[in-house]
Amino acid sequence: MDLWNQLMLGFATAATPVNLLWCLVGCAVGTAVGVLPGIGPATAVAMLLPITTQVDATASMIFFAGIYYGAMYGGSTTSILLNTPGETGSMVTAMEGNKMAKSGRAGAALATAAIGSFVAGTIATVLVTLFAPLLAKYAVRLGPPEYFCLMLLAFTTVSAVLGRSTLRGMVALFTGLAIGLIGMDQISGQARYTGGVPELLDGIEIVLVAVGLFAVSEALYAVLFEGGTTETQNKLSSVHMSRSDWRRSWPAWLRGTFIGFPFGTIPAGGSEIPTFLSYATEKKLAKDKSEFGTKGAIEGVAGPEAANNAAITATLIPLLTLGIPTSNTAAILLGAFQNYGIQPGPQLFQTSAALVWALIASLYIGNVMLLILNLPMVGLWVKLLKIPKPHLYAGILIFATVGVYGMRQSAFDLVLLYVIGLMGVVMRRYDFPTAPVVVGMILGPLAEAQMRNALSIGEGKWTVFLERPMSVTLLIIIVAVLVVPRLLKRRSTG
Amino acid sequence: MNRFGPSLGQGLVGIGVFVVGAVMAAGAFMIPSEAGYAGVGPNFLPWLVSVMLMICGAWVLWEARTGGYRNIEQPSGSERGYWHGFAWVSAGLLANAALITTIGFILSCALCFVLAVRGLRSADAQGGQATSTGTVGQIVKDLCIGFAIAAPVYWMFTKLLAINLPGLTSSGWI
Repeated sequence: MDLWNQLMLGFATAATPVNLLWCLVGCAVGTAVGVLPGIGPATAVAMLLPITTQVDATASMIFFAGIYYGAMYGGSTTSILLNTPGETGSMVTAMEGNKMAKSGRAGAALATAAIGSFVAGTIATVLVTLFAPLLAKYAVRLGPPEYFCLMLLAFTTVSAVLGRSTLRGMVALFTGLAIGLIGMDQISGQARYTGGVPELLDGIEIVLVAVGLFAVSEALYAVLFEGGTTETQNKLSSVHMSRSDWRRSWPAWLRGTFIGFPFGTIPAGGSEIPTFLSYATEKKLAKDKSEFGTKGAIEGVAGPEAANNAAITATLIPLLTLGIPTSNTAAILLGAFQNYGIQPGPQLFQTSAALVWALIASLYIGNVMLLILNLPMVGLWVKLLKIPKPHLYAGILIFATVGVYGMRQSAFDLVLLYVIGLMGVVMRRYDFPTAPVVVGMILGPLAEAQMRNALSIGEGKWTVFLERPMSVTLLIIIVAVLVVPRLLKRRSTG
Repeated sequence: MNRFGPSLGQGLVGIGVFVVGAVMAAGAFMIPSEAGYAGVGPNFLPWLVSVMLMICGAWVLWEARTGGYRNIEQPSGSERGYWHGFAWVSAGLLANAALITTIGFILSCALCFVLAVRGLRSADAQGGQATSTGTVGQIVKDLCIGFAIAAPVYWMFTKLLAINLPGLTSSGWI
């Protein structure tokens, strides 16, 4: 069987000692950034992007992917023990897991989170293995008009549908698009918005924007507004699940996986929606609802954690087969591919088959590593929570400098980094979402190129988007995601 | 929410967005429009983005003037910013940008670390946590910690990964 052979070849590549080491380091770094508040997988991958200039593509993609899903494991530890989610996908875990920890069941919560992540991650990887090549085969037939519509869909969902305000989402999206405009136009080679500064001809680095927006702004926000906030840490109890814990967790893991997976594959940005959905499902199905929100119900941790991991793994499908990122970190992974001159898309499975299959194989291996890193060794990671906040944030600034300076060796970039950090503070203070900025910046130039190619195909006529069945369908979906939620809201309010 | 309180800042954000849009529109004039077969040239997206930013900016301003942003989540943390600490962290970041090429990555980052820690710690002290700030011993300790973070990072990136970071000397160790 072709698929099987490919996967085995992937394992052969991923299991070389060097690649195993990259995978392990990635998983460990991922767990650490997941545990540490103030730094997430998107920032960590962005800071480490300079390694793409030296390390070969397969190794660094295995490394980055390890950070990406490793952070999901680590994030739950912080949520359960501190009640501040390590990253957004573990917000629900923070609610229920923290309640469990407060009633002395931290160990069980940590165990169900880690094993649930493993179960979901592995099932989702199997699904990726089966479906990604199928989708790629189909996606080869898509032309520029369809790609443009897909990207438009990604823009719409990330800015207008998610988040509390369409307006603020749009401001963020167009800011991202504006940043993406700086530099050389892909099609005509025309310089735009460079103001004669030679550094700007290559455009603004993703590292710079992601690190500024997530890391530097975090430190600036903390010093401005969050001085003196103390967190109480819950006590770690032995990481162990009783027979009844297992019985209650299993179905929740599986349900969570199947809720989370589809959400990762569509451009709906991240894992907040599936985790909340999974939580609501578990609450509804539970025989004894009294534990939810009081003592903490184990299903309320097991389900959302599984959903979170399944969604994260599933984001690799649109990323690898269509080249469309559906989360912040996926957007930065796309940037990493671009640094190698590789454009993810349906051809990737042919042109870079070895890389893709090694990456997929590394997901299986990484999940096993993470289970070991997070269950027996959880006590080690918890020590990271003892780092005093000032040292943590100041330390993050050092890593931010490495990432940004290492990419282009330009001190000018460090000033820009500060400016973008300030922008991030304003955005956070006034509740503007940041994901649309990153997605807009990375996907903007690609979408523009696809749009202009599509118009070339249509000899300059915009009707080209309406003449092809697939692109019309996508346009209808875009209108639907814009209109339907609003209609539903109107109906429910009056 | 009083009239000049939070909505003043919100309004300023709207104005800011509008101004960025306007500046981009001015820039868009300078981009040629030759389109070839496509019908739209390199100036199409700049125009779209600048017009949309101006519309959004005006809309944000309008929301701010008519009762504040809709569906806003109250930001975490205290109501007023602690600008004293902010100045320290900013100084750290900007000093780093100014000095990195002359005194090298390790020293420049260690300095940034000391300044940032000082700001963050004084924010904690101001927020009610009893921590001492600014004693000489403390500064030396922070400098050592900063050095202990920056140096291994520098060696790892320059020696192991062969990524170019500036040093004080050309030895590659500092």
